[in-house]
Amino acid sequence: MHMLKHLGASLWLLVLTVVLCSVLYPLALVLIGQTFFRHQAQGSLLDDRGNLVTDPARARGSRLIGQPFKGDEYFQPRPSNAGNSGYDASASGASNWGASNPLLRSRVARQLGPIVKYRSDSPTKPGKPVRDDVEAWFKMTVKDNPELVRDWALEHPALAEQWVKENTEAVQQWVKDNADGFALALGRSEEEIRNNLDWSARFFFILFVQRYPGSWPTVEEQTLVDPETRKSKTIKGIKPVEDGPDVQAYCFELWLQANKDPIQKGTILLEQVPADMVMSSGSGLDPHLTLKSARYQLKNRVAEKQAQRLLETDLTVARLLEEAKKETDASKRKQIEEKIDVAKAQVRKQLEDRLGKTLEQRVTEEIEKLLLEKREAPLGGLVGVDLVNVLELNLAMDARMRMLNHE
Amino acid sequence: MVLTPKGFAMWHVWSLPALIVGTTIVLSIPIGLYLAWIVDGRYQPPRWLRWLEKRVDTGAQDWKQYAMALVLFNTIMFLFGFALLQAQALLPLNPDQRGTLFPTTVFNTAASFLTNTNLQHYSGEQHLSYFSQLAVICWNMFVSAAVGFCSLAAVTRGLRGDPHMGNYYLDMWRVVVYVFLPISLVTGVFFITQGQPATLDGIAEVRTVEPDAMGTGEDGKPMPQKISRGPVAPIIPIKHYGTNGGGFFGANSAHPFENPNALTNYITCVNILIFPFSLVIMFGRMLHNMRHAAVIYGVMLTLFLSMMTWAIYWDTLHANPGLEGQDVTARGAAVEIQKLVPLPVDQELGNLEGKELRFGTSAGATFSAVTTSVTCGSVNCMHDSLNPLAGLTPFTGMWLNCFFGGKGVGLINLLVFLIIGVFLAGLMVGRTPEYLGKKVEAREMKLAMLAFLIHPILILAPTGLFTATAWGEQSTSNPGAHGFSEILYEFSSSSANNGSGFEGLQDTYGLADNPNPAPRSKHWDIATGLVMLFGRFIPIIAPLALAASLARKKQTPFTTGTLRTDTLTFAFVLLGTIVLLGALTFMPAAVLGPVAEHFGSIPFGR
Repeated sequence: MHMLKHLGASLWLLVLTVVLCSVLYPLALVLIGQTFFRHQAQGSLLDDRGNLVTDPARARGSRLIGQPFKGDEYFQPRPSNAGNSGYDASASGASNWGASNPLLRSRVARQLGPIVKYRSDSPTKPGKPVRDDVEAWFKMTVKDNPELVRDWALEHPALAEQWVKENTEAVQQWVKDNADGFALALGRSEEEIRNNLDWSARFFFILFVQRYPGSWPTVEEQTLVDPETRKSKTIKGIKPVEDGPDVQAYCFELWLQANKDPIQKGTILLEQVPADMVMSSGSGLDPHLTLKSARYQLKNRVAEKQAQRLLETDLTVARLLEEAKKETDASKRKQIEEKIDVAKAQVRKQLEDRLGKTLEQRVTEEIEKLLLEKREAPLGGLVGVDLVNVLELNLAMDARMRMLNHE
Repeated sequence: MVLTPKGFAMWHVWSLPALIVGTTIVLSIPIGLYLAWIVDGRYQPPRWLRWLEKRVDTGAQDWKQYAMALVLFNTIMFLFGFALLQAQALLPLNPDQRGTLFPTTVFNTAASFLTNTNLQHYSGEQHLSYFSQLAVICWNMFVSAAVGFCSLAAVTRGLRGDPHMGNYYLDMWRVVVYVFLPISLVTGVFFITQGQPATLDGIAEVRTVEPDAMGTGEDGKPMPQKISRGPVAPIIPIKHYGTNGGGFFGANSAHPFENPNALTNYITCVNILIFPFSLVIMFGRMLHNMRHAAVIYGVMLTLFLSMMTWAIYWDTLHANPGLEGQDVTARGAAVEIQKLVPLPVDQELGNLEGKELRFGTSAGATFSAVTTSVTCGSVNCMHDSLNPLAGLTPFTGMWLNCFFGGKGVGLINLLVFLIIGVFLAGLMVGRTPEYLGKKVEAREMKLAMLAFLIHPILILAPTGLFTATAWGEQSTSNPGAHGFSEILYEFSSSSANNGSGFEGLQDTYGLADNPNPAPRSKHWDIATGLVMLFGRFIPIIAPLALAASLARKKQTPFTTGTLRTDTLTFAFVLLGTIVLLGALTFMPAAVLGPVAEHFGSIPFGR
């Protein structure tokens, strides 16, 4: 009897709270949201003019969710660890790497390599990007030590392991294609190698450097056409390189350490990159950049590219570009490209004569105005620095550049 | 490198915590008084509500009946949660077709939400349907939060010397319906206006501005950005009011849909803190001893503010040392690790790894202190990436678990420290220790020690086990001391019923058909599931018995020799007891984890 009373009350409590907390309460909020605040309730989606919409088919992103931008003409958001390749808004997440984790430092160094510049007051090469020097350093170093990449992998096992992990598909394909070499070096049969790809991949760098001494491995997409079905398929393959983004990225830290003395003595001064450009966010979906980073990107990349884009909208240039795209013969294409350069220079001169300043200056002016219009700060600046919403900014910039073009 | 921001930038760092704490203190007084009014049954609801109240009211209960009712209802909660989660694939409101969860994950999740821990060995947007989110997660958030609340109400009645402990079911009803539901509804509407989704539609697939920004699919066509949404706004208010902390999305309150801007972040922090702060006021009101409550409030606030300052100092006012490199020159060591050249990064805003920008400069560090001192477990930055010493703040919050601690249970934990403190002080002056006019004797001390000791045992024993075996080694995602910290954090968070994590730990199995689950996720599911259950119920039931035992005793007359519990002196006794006991128990683990990482070579083991 006593127990029954308890059970009865428990069940009443269960049913009542479920009805209230899991049915009526959420229903009320969803109804209120859908009726009065429909845009927010549907995820703050934006169309290509930057207006709020509720239909995903018309949307180009969400105001609240960071979106990747890869082109140099756009402001690029922070690095992201959401999903496998970043900015996957159905798999939010972070690196979760502690300060002592070598992967963190390595990731940041790789992001820095292609963008870092010497300071304008640096005694060496003021204002120049370091990437060319990093490539030159690599080419020089591998002359003495063609096995550089293997030494790197042995000295930094965590980084090498991560490299293989990030490029598993390509590495495993490479192991399959080079199973004979692996079999010979590791004293196993080719079949064993093919059947234990995970295991074999650990020896990737050692074998790679035997096949391609003096180079660095990079992964590129290769298009294969199936001879029977004639369908094309893109796969990832390993390619040895001596320069390019991967060398700039991976060898930046090696270059930095090799220049320890001049850096400490102050004969090499490097410009500091704003931290939010190289440190990934908690959700992997941070929609913002600091205003400082945006200005950094504007100065170093965006203005120049936007100016180029303006030139390319000129009718003559656009026609030539179209021609160059269609042209299959390499030497003819080169001729057309020369023509393009001449045409661009002409247009530029006309424009700059009229403006009384360089095209880049004019573009920078316009985008700087936009930055000031678009900046926002946490609690009106009470608790944090000025920020810009990258998606909104890029959409507004596209519109502004169209206006400038008409002008 | 210590950062010394000047002028306005320095103001940015301290304005947010000041705003959060100030608002909470002011609000805690009226809300505390309101809570006492509700819990003491002085609110007369309209007739239809009274009819419903009657359904659950089984009459006055002694401590055993109260504890039995609590255990019975929690068993039903567990069965209910387990069944619905396991059947997820068969149930409605599943627009993104989430499949069946692996059984150990279901066990872990049912235990986690039942115990108000909200440790998540799954990722909300990837593994749960909207039905699971609303029927299991949202419901548990309301009800499990009320459990701690009710236990405190019962313990307080015992200490007050009431003839009975109240009625468990009625207490639950009052807290859920008269406190949590109305305040959550109002907050939810506000959050929707700020951008939290409130929809039953599934993922929105949008074309990106740059067509191939998300890459191209197998067919060569550009991929859309898939944006998960759902009924987020109903869950977030109670997630914080109930100090639950289980996010709708994997990234928790760092996700822009859970926490769209600096204003929601500020309000979220106040939401997390408000009930733990107010309950001290309620306690004082119910005991008719506000001075005593003020002493407790002051001690809790002192500890809380110092831990918060610590986190901000080490995380916001220090650059991430990983980018700078750190040398180690141990005397007599064979290998000397030289400092690397610092990377050219401008870290004027402190450590930004795992932080969002929109909340404000010190928001990540502030939130990490807020969420772990009151067992919420929500996060707006990734604790795994906090600077090593800043990581001590969440650890300490969970270890001591009493400033202010979870709603109800935090204050109960503090009362345990208080009984121990009274006992120590009593011994020092050679008098029988007493609390609120009741003698503290062997039985009470045994119960207090049981409640105190279970926590470190539940943390340190399994941490040792997992660290020594492959179970831990194969699960950490960071090397060296930081890997140890990940294991330690997981069990600290489970036993403290906190629920946040050093999320790099590989503990997610995911759906039952996942071909590549984390290798040791089953071990983690079961071990932390058990720790959460023991860590929840023993520290609730032992103090219930303790309070009942005190209630039965005769009131000793108040004399000049009585150890007063409402003075500054006693505040120091209490503070000393907490710090001393906490340090004695957890210092070795702290030294092996965050402290070793701080002094060791950075980066570690390249």
